[in-house]
Amino acid sequence: MSWQPPHLHLAHVSKRYDQVQAVHDLSLAVPRGAVYGLLGPNGAGKTTTIRMIMRITLPDSGTITLGGVPLDDRLRERIGYLPEERGLYRKMKVLDHLIFLGEIRGLPRDEARTRAAAWLDRLGLAEKAGRAVEELSKGMQQKVQFAGAVIHSPELVILDEPFTGLDPLATRQLKDEIAAMAARGVTVLLSTHVLPQAEELCQHLCLINRGRAILSGSLAEVRGRFNRHALRVVSSAGPAQLRAVPGVTEVHAREGEYVVTIANHVSVATVIRALAERVELHAVERHEATLEEIFLRAVEDDHAAAV
Amino acid sequence: MLRLSKVRTVMRREYTSRVRTKAFWISTLLVPVAIVAFTVLPSVVMKRQGGTFSIALLTSDGDLAGEIQAELARRVESAPGVGALNIRVEWIQPRDDADRQREELKQRVLHKELTGVLVLPQEVLTSGRVEYLSTNVTAFRLIGRLDNAVERVVLRARLRTAGISEERLADVTRGVKLDPVRLTSSGSEAREALGGSFAMSYVLTFLIYLTVMIYGFYVMRGVLEEKSSRIVEVIVANLSPTELMAGKIFGVGAVGLTQYLIWAVLAMNLAAPGLLGLGLVENGGDLLSPKLLVFFVLFFVFGYFLFATVYAAIGAAFNSEEEAQQMQTVISMFLAIPFVLMFVILNDPDAPISVILSLLPFFSPMLFFLRMTVAFPPTWQIILCFALMSMTLLAMVRVSAAIYRVGILMYGKKPTFKEIARWVRTS
Repeated sequence: MSWQPPHLHLAHVSKRYDQVQAVHDLSLAVPRGAVYGLLGPNGAGKTTTIRMIMRITLPDSGTITLGGVPLDDRLRERIGYLPEERGLYRKMKVLDHLIFLGEIRGLPRDEARTRAAAWLDRLGLAEKAGRAVEELSKGMQQKVQFAGAVIHSPELVILDEPFTGLDPLATRQLKDEIAAMAARGVTVLLSTHVLPQAEELCQHLCLINRGRAILSGSLAEVRGRFNRHALRVVSSAGPAQLRAVPGVTEVHAREGEYVVTIANHVSVATVIRALAERVELHAVERHEATLEEIFLRAVEDDHAAAV
Repeated sequence: MLRLSKVRTVMRREYTSRVRTKAFWISTLLVPVAIVAFTVLPSVVMKRQGGTFSIALLTSDGDLAGEIQAELARRVESAPGVGALNIRVEWIQPRDDADRQREELKQRVLHKELTGVLVLPQEVLTSGRVEYLSTNVTAFRLIGRLDNAVERVVLRARLRTAGISEERLADVTRGVKLDPVRLTSSGSEAREALGGSFAMSYVLTFLIYLTVMIYGFYVMRGVLEEKSSRIVEVIVANLSPTELMAGKIFGVGAVGLTQYLIWAVLAMNLAAPGLLGLGLVENGGDLLSPKLLVFFVLFFVFGYFLFATVYAAIGAAFNSEEEAQQMQTVISMFLAIPFVLMFVILNDPDAPISVILSLLPFFSPMLFFLRMTVAFPPTWQIILCFALMSMTLLAMVRVSAAIYRVGILMYGKKPTFKEIARWVRTS
C-alpha cells in the first residue's frame, strides 16, 4: 500500500490569547476517510484548534492544509462543521432552515430543498418539517443542526462535542450516521471529552492537554504503548498480598478481580511467575487498558512533568 | 470580496422571515393610523369644531352693541365639513355698582350660562382695548371670530367719527384675503391651503425618521440574535461576516421598501382623497409629485444604510440588548436631532443655517428632504448632498464592517471603546 498524504494536516500550529497559550506547536495528520478523535479535558485547546481549522480565528504560526493545499476561505467550503456552541434561528421553520443552510453552503435552491427533505426523513423528523425550530426538543434541534452541517456532502466533517445533550437513542442515531459517513470515505474529525465514545468510533486519535499533543496515533498504537504494563488477576488473595509481590507497583480491586500494574523495568513473565509462587491464582490475563485509563495517566504524567 | 449569491441567500431569509410575521402586517397598518392620529386628527378636530355660544356684551353704547350683534350673526363661509359657529349675543348695560355687576357676570360664566363676557369700556374707540372673560381662553376659533367682529365694528365707528360717509363705509372696510402661492421648481404656481403643505412635509419627514429608526433597530436586534444564539458560529464557515452583514442590511431594507409600497398604495387610494375631502390639501397630485416621491425613497435608502451600518456594528460589538441599550439610545437621540431642527428649516429653508444643517450627512435624509418639500433646492446642493452622504456611507461601511467582523465572533465581557477602536484600526 502506497503512503498517502494526510487529508487534513496541521503543522506546528500555535495560538495565544492575551495571557493564555491556547495551542502550542500542535501537529495533526488526519488520514483520508478516517474517524479521527481529538480528545482532551475541557479547556485543553480542542475548540481553539477547530476554530483555527475553520478560520474563525487564525493561528499565530504554523500551517494548515487540506489535501496538501493551504486552507483558504474557498477550500473551507468543503468542510462540514458542527460547532460546540450550537444555534438555529428559533422562529424559522425546520425545512426552511435546512434549505437556508444548504444554500449558504453552496447548493442550488432546488437541490438544497431535495436534500433537506431527504435528511429530515432519514433522521425521523419528516413530520416536523413545517414546525418552527423552537417547537422542537433540544435533541431534535441538534439533529437538524447535524443535517445542516453535512447537507452539502463535505469531504471533511468536523464535529465539536456532537453528543452533548443527546439522549441515548439520538446518540446511537448520530453514531450510526458518523460510521456511515466514514464508510463512504468522508473524513471525520471528532472532538470529545467522553472517551468511550471516541473508543467506539475512532481509528485515530490525538490527546491534547494544555494546548499540546501528549499522545497520538492509531487506536491500536496508543493502546499498545500502555497495555503491557498491566494484568487482570482473579485471586482469593487480598490486595496487600498482591502488592507485596516484587515488580508490582499498584493494585486496584474491582468486581471480584484485580488490575495489577507492573513496574516499567520488569518483564510481564517474571511477575506472573512471582504471582503464581506466592498467591493462589484463578486466572491471569493481559489487561486491555481503556482509553480512559490511558488518558487519565497521560494527563497526570503531563501535569507531573509540568511541575 | 462579496459573493453575491451568499448575500442574496441571507437577504432572502431576512426578507421572507420578516414579511411573513404578523408583527410586520400589524405595524404596516398601524403606522398610518398613528400618523393620522398624531398629525391630521387634531387639526381636523380643531377646524371642524362648531356649536352654539352665548356671549354677554357689556357696553353702554347701544349702537356699538347692535352692530357687533349684527356682525356676529352674519354667516361666514366656512370650508367644507367645518362646523358653523352660532353666537348668541346678549347686550347688558353697565350698572353703577360696576364691581358687583362684574362679579354677577363672572358667576354666570362659571355656571355655564354664558360662554364669555365681552367688556367694552367707554373709551373703546380711543384705547382700542376690549376684555374677554371666559373659562376657556384657548378656543381659538371663537375668540378669533369675536376679535374680528369687534375690530370691524370699532373700525367702522372710528371711520364714521373721521367723517367717512355711511355709503362709502362698506367699500372702505371690505376685507382682504391672503392667498399663499407656492412656486414649484419648474416655475409654475401651486395654490394650496396653508396647512396642507406643512402637514405633508411633516408627515413625510416623520415617516423617514420613523422607518430609519425602526429598521435600523431591526438590524441591530437581528445581529444580536445571531450572536447570542450562536447561529453565527454555524454559518460563518460558509459566509464571511461582511456577506452576512450586507445580506442582513439589504434584506431588512427590502422589508422597509415593501412597507413603503403598501403605504403608497394605501395613500393613493384612501388617504389622498381623504385629505382632499377634508380641505387640508387642495391639490394632492402636486404635493406628491413623482419627483418628490423618488427623492423620498432615495433619502429613505441613504438614511437607512447610514444608520443600519451603525446599528449593525453596535449589535456585533455587544453581547445583549441590555449592553447595547446605551449606545442605541445615543444613536436614537442623534436621529431625533433633525426632527427638532425641522422648524428652523421650515421657517427659512434657504437660509445658510438651513443649508448647512441639511447637508450634514446624518441629517440629510430628513432635513434635506424637508427642504425639498417646501422649496426645491438648487441642483448643485442636491449633488453635494448625495456626494457627502455617499462618502460618509462608504466610510461607515468600512468602519462598521471592521467592528462587525471582529465583534460578531467575540463573546464574553462587554468591549470598551478603546478595544472597538483597535478592531477598526487593525482591520
